[in-house]
Amino acid sequence: MRFQRITQTVTLILFLGLFLLAASPFPDGLGVDLFLRLDPLVDLGTVVAARDFQVFLLPGFILLASAFLFGRVFCGHICPMGTTLDVLERTAKTSRKSPTKTNSREAAGDYRAWKYLCLLVILAGAAGGVSLVFVGSPLSLVTRFYALVVHPVALALLDAALALVSPLASHTRFAELAHVQVDQRVFATGAFVAAFFVAMTALAYVQPRFWCRNLCPTGALFGLCSRSPRVRRKVNDSCTGCGRCIRGCPTAAISEDPTQTDHAECIVCLRCVSVCPEAAVSFGTIRGAAAKPAAKIDLSRRRLFLAMGSGLATAGLIRTGIHQPVPKIRDRPLRDGELIRPPGALPEAAFLERCIRCGECMKACPTNTLQPIWLKAGLEGIFSPIMLPRLGPCAVGCNVCGQVCPTGAIRNLPLIEKRHAKVGTAWIARETCLVWEQDKKCLVCDEVCPYGAVAFRPVEGKMNAVPFVTGTKCTGCGWCECKCPVEGTSAIRVGIAGEIRLNRGSYVEKSREYGFVFKIKETGPGGLAPGTFDAPDSAPAEGPGRQGSPASGTGLPPGIILK
Amino acid sequence: MSHKPDRREFLKTGLIASAAMLSAGPATLLGALDARAEELPDLAVAYGRDPAKMARAAVEAVGGMKRFVKAGNKVVIKPNMSFASGPKAASNTEPAVVEEVARMALEAGASRISVLDNVLHAPNECLSLSKIPEYCSRVPNTTVHNVQAKRMFKETPVPNGKQLRSMEIMTEVLDADVLIAVPVGKSHSSSGVSLSMKGMMGLIYDRRSFHSRYDLHDAIVDMCFVLKPALVVVDGTRILSSGGPGGPGKVIPLNLVIASPDMVAADAQMVALGTWYDRKLEPHQVRHIRNAAERKLGRSDLQNMSIKKIEL
Repeated sequence: MRFQRITQTVTLILFLGLFLLAASPFPDGLGVDLFLRLDPLVDLGTVVAARDFQVFLLPGFILLASAFLFGRVFCGHICPMGTTLDVLERTAKTSRKSPTKTNSREAAGDYRAWKYLCLLVILAGAAGGVSLVFVGSPLSLVTRFYALVVHPVALALLDAALALVSPLASHTRFAELAHVQVDQRVFATGAFVAAFFVAMTALAYVQPRFWCRNLCPTGALFGLCSRSPRVRRKVNDSCTGCGRCIRGCPTAAISEDPTQTDHAECIVCLRCVSVCPEAAVSFGTIRGAAAKPAAKIDLSRRRLFLAMGSGLATAGLIRTGIHQPVPKIRDRPLRDGELIRPPGALPEAAFLERCIRCGECMKACPTNTLQPIWLKAGLEGIFSPIMLPRLGPCAVGCNVCGQVCPTGAIRNLPLIEKRHAKVGTAWIARETCLVWEQDKKCLVCDEVCPYGAVAFRPVEGKMNAVPFVTGTKCTGCGWCECKCPVEGTSAIRVGIAGEIRLNRGSYVEKSREYGFVFKIKETGPGGLAPGTFDAPDSAPAEGPGRQGSPASGTGLPPGIILK
Repeated sequence: MSHKPDRREFLKTGLIASAAMLSAGPATLLGALDARAEELPDLAVAYGRDPAKMARAAVEAVGGMKRFVKAGNKVVIKPNMSFASGPKAASNTEPAVVEEVARMALEAGASRISVLDNVLHAPNECLSLSKIPEYCSRVPNTTVHNVQAKRMFKETPVPNGKQLRSMEIMTEVLDADVLIAVPVGKSHSSSGVSLSMKGMMGLIYDRRSFHSRYDLHDAIVDMCFVLKPALVVVDGTRILSSGGPGGPGKVIPLNLVIASPDMVAADAQMVALGTWYDRKLEPHQVRHIRNAAERKLGRSDLQNMSIKKIEL
């Protein structure tokens, strides 16, 4: 196996290992989001868009600086997007040997400038205060792909496979397979993300690694820094000019004269070294006059201005979009009432400046409540996470979303702080509530509320006590909305009213200032576990009785008949 | 697709058939000839302080585990372990009782013992806090599992059901030879009490619909005609007198264990011996027990039954 395949395999395994560890319970102190922060575009784009530098964004810059020494090693060996596309292309058998003429640097040059334009658009957008990192960052794209497509599909397949295999294994020593249960995940937008990857793979029919060669803005960033790296491809005098290296180069970095290399395109995959029959190619340092000046990037000034202009115009469009606050008229942004951000999410504008839509928080969320959105927050909010309480509640004993967020769009909060990071308030849709509307006996919302924020009080004209939400006790966790037995839309829903979004400072103090009291319900004798309310499938109550209860008013369950 | 059976296949089917006849024959014969059956009580209540000893004494009094479990049988034990709370909270069965029932089944020759429930709270917390896996790990061939995945259930018809036509039951329960219920005595916000009958809902995939779509009390009885345990051991070491099924609520120590082959009788006895929501109740005051007796699932007329009391 070639060296590159080994490094690619190792880094992909590392990437996937960290990806799988991004879950609750969270392995403390482990930077599971490291790969995302290795992408210099993630770091640079975030720093520029948010006008704020944080130390955890350093890894990408270090890696970028290393390109001055070693070239685009990242692209050829580390980037999981590149490896994933390699695997997909191989599986789809897109790679065919390119004849020399179409794969030399000169012949394949048509599209490669695009990636610089992509980079410019994104950086200009960031300069305009709008993060478009999610559109082009390979690490954001590939993490989103694994989180929203590969992971849920793999879990579903695993479950199907278990159903098939476990009966067969029942009389072997693997009989315990019958008891292996796999949590399933569901996501919005998954099909779209999958389609994007299908398209990227299909483009490999045009050129191998089409994405990496022509579109990847991170590749462009590395290219700018590796125009003349210290360690680079060199060809000695034994070269016969046979052209094998040109045909084999996945990024068409070699000129028609095979001794000449475009180092900004070279991803140091070392294929040219291994295919050379004369062993004329090697990588090493070149001293003095032997170092030729780097090839020029084929970009007209007009195109550069166009790209920069598009980025700025996009930023301008977004900043004048309907979801932006209008100074003096209405300083709060117009927001959908159900755009419930994860607990600890920065104030909306700052949040969107940082969120790179990688999907790591959605992957890690144990209850599956975090979902990507389409256009609920406008075009600028596409793929960003919101809570969907009907699908799952925010687990009381979990703060994993903030721990895995690579850019600090969701703050990394201790549990006690997270429990005070109110995401909204529940309200009762009385016209569908079983108690309010049909006078049935149902207590589910009260029974599942971890904070005792639902109170049942008698009102005139109702046989049964009816539910009220105490807003100052409600954190918006969504247990009530999740478990409400009404079919379809819940009769108790969480809206963003009362959410606390802080750039810095303590949520505990802020909630005290607002007069909120978030206290987890009393535990019983023998002690309820801290995670009692955290099971995705838990239902402390099992729904209302269908019939009205004759024992109503006595406080006894409907199953008991009084004499 | 039809084909002539080859010799190997013929022999195989023949062997299976004769084995089935041989094993079924003696069992039915023994059952009929078992003179002891006449003298055995309908129900036994053991009083004491040691949960394991009480469980054993109560089961011995109704004929011993060998009456219910034969050598090589696959046994399923259904305790309560649906809630993430410790034994003192009384939402789950006392682990020592479950362990002792498993041990008796093993001694009677069970080949495999599965302790199963479809839990409500976070599965890992339920299992670890209930301490049932911890205790049962001391009994060989015994495993404890939370069963929730859809593939582990099988649609099963409910003949003559008043509310249910069919339900999805754990495949492992359907495959088992013997089902033993080991519920804790506890109150329940919908059904009044949750004992062996109500506890069978822990072997069903979709129990929510019992509450929301059906008349719960009739549905429980329908279900128990299909899921009828051979033996019921009710843990009355302490009961959750109110606040059930999940608690927290009033926990009252009763220091007793009930055993009976009749699930309705066992439940009725538990109701009569306990205090529920600060009052005493007659068995027929609990709807699903009354319905069960009326529909002849079992007996609830305690006054006409032979009940053996054991003091330890």
